[in-house]
Amino acid sequence: MAAPETSTAAVPTLYTNNTLRNAFGGVLSFFILLLIGVMAFSIRLFSVIKYESVIHEFDPYFNYRVTQFLAKNGIYEFWNWFDDRTWYPLGRVIGGTVYPGLTLTAGTIWWLLNSLNIPLSVETVCVFTAPIFSAFASWATFLLTKEVKGTGAGLTAAALLAMVPSYISRSVAGSYDNEAVAIFALIFTFYLYIKTLNTGSLFYATLNSIAYFYMVCSWGGYTFIINLIPMHVLLCIVTGRFSSRLYIAYAPLVVLGTLLAALVPVVGFNAVMTSEHFASFLVFIILHVVAFVYYIKGILSPKMFKVAVTLVVSVGLAVCCAVIAVLIALVASSPTKGWSGRSLSLLDPTYASKYIPIIASVSEHQPPTWPSYFMDINVLAFLVPAGIIACFSPLSDSSSFVVLYIATSVYFSGVMVRLMLVFAPAACITSGIALSQSFDVFTRSIKFQLPGISSNTEVDAAETSSATAEAQNDAVKTEKSEETSKNRPSKKSKKKEKEEKPSTKAKAEKRLLALPLDSSVISLLLLILLGAFYVVHCVWAAAEAYSAPSIVLTSRSHDGLHVFDDFREAYGWLRHNTDVDDKVASWWDYGYQTTAMANRTVIVDNNTWNNTHIATVGTAMSSPEKAAWEIFHSLDVKYVLVVFGGLVGYPSDDINKFLWMVRIGGGVFPHIKEPDYLRDGQYRIDSQATPTMLNCLMYKLSYYRFVETDGKGFDRVRQTEIGKKHFKLTHFEEVFTTHHWMVRIYKLKPPKNRIRGKTKKSKSKTSSTSSRGKRSGSGKKNPWQ
Amino acid sequence: MAISPTPTYLFLLSLFTLSLFLSIPTAESESELVADLLALQSESKSGVIHLDDRTIAKFLTSPQTPRPYSIFIFFDATQLHDKSELHLPELRREFALVASSFITNHNHSNTKLFFADIEFRESQSSFQLFGVNSLPHIRLVGPNAKSLKDDSDQMDQSDFSRLSESMAEFVESRTKLTVGPIHRPPILSKTQMGLIVALLLISAPFVAKKIFSGETFLHDPNIWLSGAIFVYFFSVSGAMHNIIRKMPMFLLDRNDPSKLIFFYQGSGMQLGAEGFAVGFLYTVVGLLLAIVTHILVHVKNAKAKRAVMISAICVSFWAVQKVILLDNWKTGYRIHGFWPSSWN
Repeated sequence: MAAPETSTAAVPTLYTNNTLRNAFGGVLSFFILLLIGVMAFSIRLFSVIKYESVIHEFDPYFNYRVTQFLAKNGIYEFWNWFDDRTWYPLGRVIGGTVYPGLTLTAGTIWWLLNSLNIPLSVETVCVFTAPIFSAFASWATFLLTKEVKGTGAGLTAAALLAMVPSYISRSVAGSYDNEAVAIFALIFTFYLYIKTLNTGSLFYATLNSIAYFYMVCSWGGYTFIINLIPMHVLLCIVTGRFSSRLYIAYAPLVVLGTLLAALVPVVGFNAVMTSEHFASFLVFIILHVVAFVYYIKGILSPKMFKVAVTLVVSVGLAVCCAVIAVLIALVASSPTKGWSGRSLSLLDPTYASKYIPIIASVSEHQPPTWPSYFMDINVLAFLVPAGIIACFSPLSDSSSFVVLYIATSVYFSGVMVRLMLVFAPAACITSGIALSQSFDVFTRSIKFQLPGISSNTEVDAAETSSATAEAQNDAVKTEKSEETSKNRPSKKSKKKEKEEKPSTKAKAEKRLLALPLDSSVISLLLLILLGAFYVVHCVWAAAEAYSAPSIVLTSRSHDGLHVFDDFREAYGWLRHNTDVDDKVASWWDYGYQTTAMANRTVIVDNNTWNNTHIATVGTAMSSPEKAAWEIFHSLDVKYVLVVFGGLVGYPSDDINKFLWMVRIGGGVFPHIKEPDYLRDGQYRIDSQATPTMLNCLMYKLSYYRFVETDGKGFDRVRQTEIGKKHFKLTHFEEVFTTHHWMVRIYKLKPPKNRIRGKTKKSKSKTSSTSSRGKRSGSGKKNPWQ
Repeated sequence: MAISPTPTYLFLLSLFTLSLFLSIPTAESESELVADLLALQSESKSGVIHLDDRTIAKFLTSPQTPRPYSIFIFFDATQLHDKSELHLPELRREFALVASSFITNHNHSNTKLFFADIEFRESQSSFQLFGVNSLPHIRLVGPNAKSLKDDSDQMDQSDFSRLSESMAEFVESRTKLTVGPIHRPPILSKTQMGLIVALLLISAPFVAKKIFSGETFLHDPNIWLSGAIFVYFFSVSGAMHNIIRKMPMFLLDRNDPSKLIFFYQGSGMQLGAEGFAVGFLYTVVGLLLAIVTHILVHVKNAKAKRAVMISAICVSFWAVQKVILLDNWKTGYRIHGFWPSSWN
């Protein structure tokens, strides 16, 4: 904290007084920060309290499994890990296809704790990684906002971030996903960039590159950083804010950062080959050109400089044109112009809905409506504009960065609801600035106009007023001078000294910058009320909306709480009752969970990298029993797992996802046609359903023996009686159905004994060959046969 | 698939019914028909043949099946072009695009497939003939289609979404012909591109000079400020959602057509006007707060200060309360605190 010294140096008489105040303020902020960290951690524990300490959802199970492997086998094994438990028979290279940041972080924490003789299980560490890192993220927010607008704004922003619902939704205890650590890395990288920009220190620039490296390790969202920072640099150049600090903040980041990013296997040469990174290189070139111009300007006389400018501009333009032409040629040579589908749909929001239905179909990629903003950032939505305006008065390098950050991220969040997560920190920072400045103004107004104090000041006008003014100005001014002196160290400090001389006059003027007492009090109360509403909303969101682990379900009815633990029951059954090398087929949603919890080989999983493979499973599920059996048998599958919600009314079951299986299957194997499963364009499973629908494997496996539960076969999700109630399975046998029928496991019957078939009759043989002939004639055949 | 074994009496019956509609049952030879179609095709700019009742009779109903060609027909109605939800002009453009692409890909020599359109006003009886009673409607009449209504393939409504590509796919799947790549006209023609590049090159030195001397509008922070606020307003109002989903500004009430619905209940969807209204409420509170804390403090007149502040407080309070109420109404969530149980 070098800044306060420069501002107080001008007033030596108050030096000791101020140091004491500063020390007290420092200690206070430290404890506040500690409490903020505790709050950020504890607000995310609702999931553990309401449910249990368990990993959530789908992707976290994969991360958990990878972490387990890392903890057990060490880093080198992990790096070279070829996973044969998934995508059977292809397998998957794990080390080269994951962002390793999260796994390495949790693995390190686990290793550290164990070497300190704290015997926590890997699962516990994984469950609590996200809450711990959200505490870190709020501290990083404090640092970032402090760099921009001072300590008060920093503390407010940190407190807001600690409980912003958007971030809670991705970082509750158990939500062990990349975003959990990535948001911290994102904010911390931005903080270090701003710090470097304010100080011009190469030390922070190096740290910045390392933080960027950590971000690249953690999340694909790092492209946001590597585009936002160049944009800011360009903005600074265009608005005439170029300085050597800017150069130090940017140039090392590009060089070191790109080299480091290329070390991450999943990124590799993408760091220099894909269009997402080209902006940074282009700005790198521009920065050097501009730096050169400034250098020339420094060593030449103004007249010579004019001549030089024309020269440099013409040469520079030629070089730029050449480089841009090369870039365009490179970009144009690739079919998607070098951009990935997701990035393109950010630039042209209508792109995905037109051309990539699979991206457009994911609920995370939908554009949000206004209630989503109210749900995810709540009252911050009201405060952000005030924060943006506060950043413009005065506009500094760092505050312009915040403005750019919020403008870009709010636009992106408008395109994809998932990116609300990137927008939330920006919203917290700007709202923190807005809140803190408003509090500043209102409390100052109240303080000046309180009857007791004002009478005092009038009694001995000269001394006391200056003292109180100094006291009240202290907080404001130290902050202000802190950031201004940091931005323009050389110029501003000189100016400051001039300003401080006629201090009493300035303070008298400052007194006038107050608002009416009564309305200030009301505004203050309303702001506090707004904050209180925010807290209530965040706690409610954390407790009710975002804490469900979706592996254990609960429902509250008039006769109390019901717990549905069917998933773990089924996975436990698989682990204990099947052979360790058996293959289990299910729709891809349940792949990660099956490998992690049942430790069985799966055919497809949530890393949907091979469309044909998924389509094969989709085709099997949409085929009649015999054809499905053939496909599964060719894949060496022993068990088929389906999720069925008709008994308890669990809506996201396989029957509701079935049309996607048909579509994806039909995309590769054209004999599966979606209209065959629809009656007049409507998807139904009651007596009006098409025969194809009623005979497909998914229908049969879901509704086998279902009529025995209530005698009618009433499906609670579809709110209808099922179409075909009594049927037998010929090629599959039911081996396990969980307590609430949510997961049903079937075993493939072994192939018929050939001798018996031969002696019996040749009739069945001929029929089977004829049906096969028809199938091969009608469309593409299953590649696994 | 050669001649389909339809019973002759059915055939006769259909001929009979057809002849009811027909005025010129004179059969021309197949090659003449194809030549006529080719001539018509070359007359039109995009390659879409404009059919009416007479030509439909000539090309579709009177020649004996199998005809030597399929016709892909777009049913158009000029009086419905201004109904934006039907997207007729847009679909018509895409249709023309497929047609011209198909023709250029086959070097104007393909006689298996022709593209045609029919206008409702001119050829109402043809619309009846096809049994078309709703638009948009696109239909492929294959070589073997006897009854235009029953034997021809209608393109699915849901397939229109992907426009010309899906039309091409539809044609390819039904006729076993390849359409080939769609040739979309470039957004800018070549001369325009050249002009723009030249302009850019000429203006570049001036722009660079301005930037170096620091006198562009980019140096005015107010521009950036209003830009940032606008982007914020635009995004939080969910305008991207409206653009991507092509949401209307408001709906007509089904029960009472004189009323308009501005607010849609249910969180997955919003209407245009609704989004902008709430986006405005979101933005106005922050703006008022900023005005009070940054501008109003510099005002000298105490009365004016008080008046502005009180009105700002009232407006902000109303806006926040309105948004909370609207949100509760729209999403159905009931936010509640978690108080100690002894308080109840």
